[in-house]
Amino acid sequence: MKYILKCFFSLFLVLCSFFASAQKATVKDSTLTKKDSVKPKTERYGLRVGIDLSKLTRSFYEKDYKGLELVGDFKFTRKHYLAAEIGNENKTVDDDQLNFTTNGTYLKVGFDYNSYENWVGMNNMIYVGMRYGVSAFSQTLNSYSIYYANTYFPKPIIESGQKYDGLSAQWLEVVAGVKAEMFQNLYVGFSVRLNHLITNKTPDNFDNLYIPGFNRTYGGNFGAGFNYTISYFLPLYKKTLKNKENKTK
Amino acid sequence: MKKIILLLLISLSLFSCEKDDICDASNATTPRLVIEFYDNSVATPTLKSVTNLKAVASGMQEGVVFNNSLPVTNPLRYLSNSNKIYLPLNPSGTTTTYSLKYDFGGAFENEDIVTYNYATQAVYVSRACGYKYLFNLTNTNTNILSVDSNNWIKNIMIAKPNLESENEVHIKMFF
Repeated sequence: MKYILKCFFSLFLVLCSFFASAQKATVKDSTLTKKDSVKPKTERYGLRVGIDLSKLTRSFYEKDYKGLELVGDFKFTRKHYLAAEIGNENKTVDDDQLNFTTNGTYLKVGFDYNSYENWVGMNNMIYVGMRYGVSAFSQTLNSYSIYYANTYFPKPIIESGQKYDGLSAQWLEVVAGVKAEMFQNLYVGFSVRLNHLITNKTPDNFDNLYIPGFNRTYGGNFGAGFNYTISYFLPLYKKTLKNKENKTK
Repeated sequence: MKKIILLLLISLSLFSCEKDDICDASNATTPRLVIEFYDNSVATPTLKSVTNLKAVASGMQEGVVFNNSLPVTNPLRYLSNSNKIYLPLNPSGTTTTYSLKYDFGGAFENEDIVTYNYATQAVYVSRACGYKYLFNLTNTNTNILSVDSNNWIKNIMIAKPNLESENEVHIKMFF
């Protein structure tokens, strides 16, 4: 059931992206008619800081999860943003054969490239970006059951409590997302991420099945994630747009 | 640009539908004890098949299944006529005692009791499979078999005390 839900959600995402691209086209059209403005135009630069709502809400309704992620980006050219996320996660996973808790902190830094042509003064984004992520965490193996193909004896469930400290992982993320201004300087955003592990320090006789920031690991090096953010734009300075830049729009 | 986002989303959507939570039977499992039977009457080791051997662990009602293909109602399921048997060791303890009945239900039925002592070691397999046990027999050649007035097993030799897989022989029994 969980998987069916996931599939539906993913399908919903794909549909959303169609929506987004459809809207983009119409916005472009309307900018065309406004080309002839003569006022000198300024672009606002600044820092946008926010919080991941999905992790915050999950912390309330999922008893096995506690997480917090702060996000920030800084516009340094018309199209480019420095971006970072910092967070902490504590997640208990109850699988058929294993029950474990992962607890740790992560940091992701990188950049976003905005492909959206904004009206002057706005900082909406449809973007792609890259992140370098690093996480330090510990894992506690709460209990496990023995994999025994033979069914003659009942399989015991072993309460372990073994804690593995000092684990770490590094990875690269490809990010795609949108950020839209809802109210004055207040943005909501959504992004999806494909992750690829670079290094992964696993404990002896166990594996990093969940990495804070990276999320669930699969057999290989790939992983995936998303966030749903609300953030506030702090304008720091303005730059006057050159005429040439105006015309190319 | 639009295409990139679309591609990303589609690949992500496929990704989340993947299921890797099923423990594939190809993974090495907790090994059973592998016993080979030899002819005690000849000097050179020669494999010899047992006759209607039934193995029941102490505390268990049913015997160990030797013929998985037979229906549950067929009593032949529990009888072995091979020169090699696989006995599971109890993962909940460090001792498993088996009653081995030779020629079960026949004229020469003879019960011998064997006791295996072992240490267990949990080895991580995967997310879906969890951990498997490896057993390490702490018996000596002479304290496996309980001596009675008429043992059908004449001699026992531990070939490999550490059970790592089922592709090896751990115990050799001569009769």
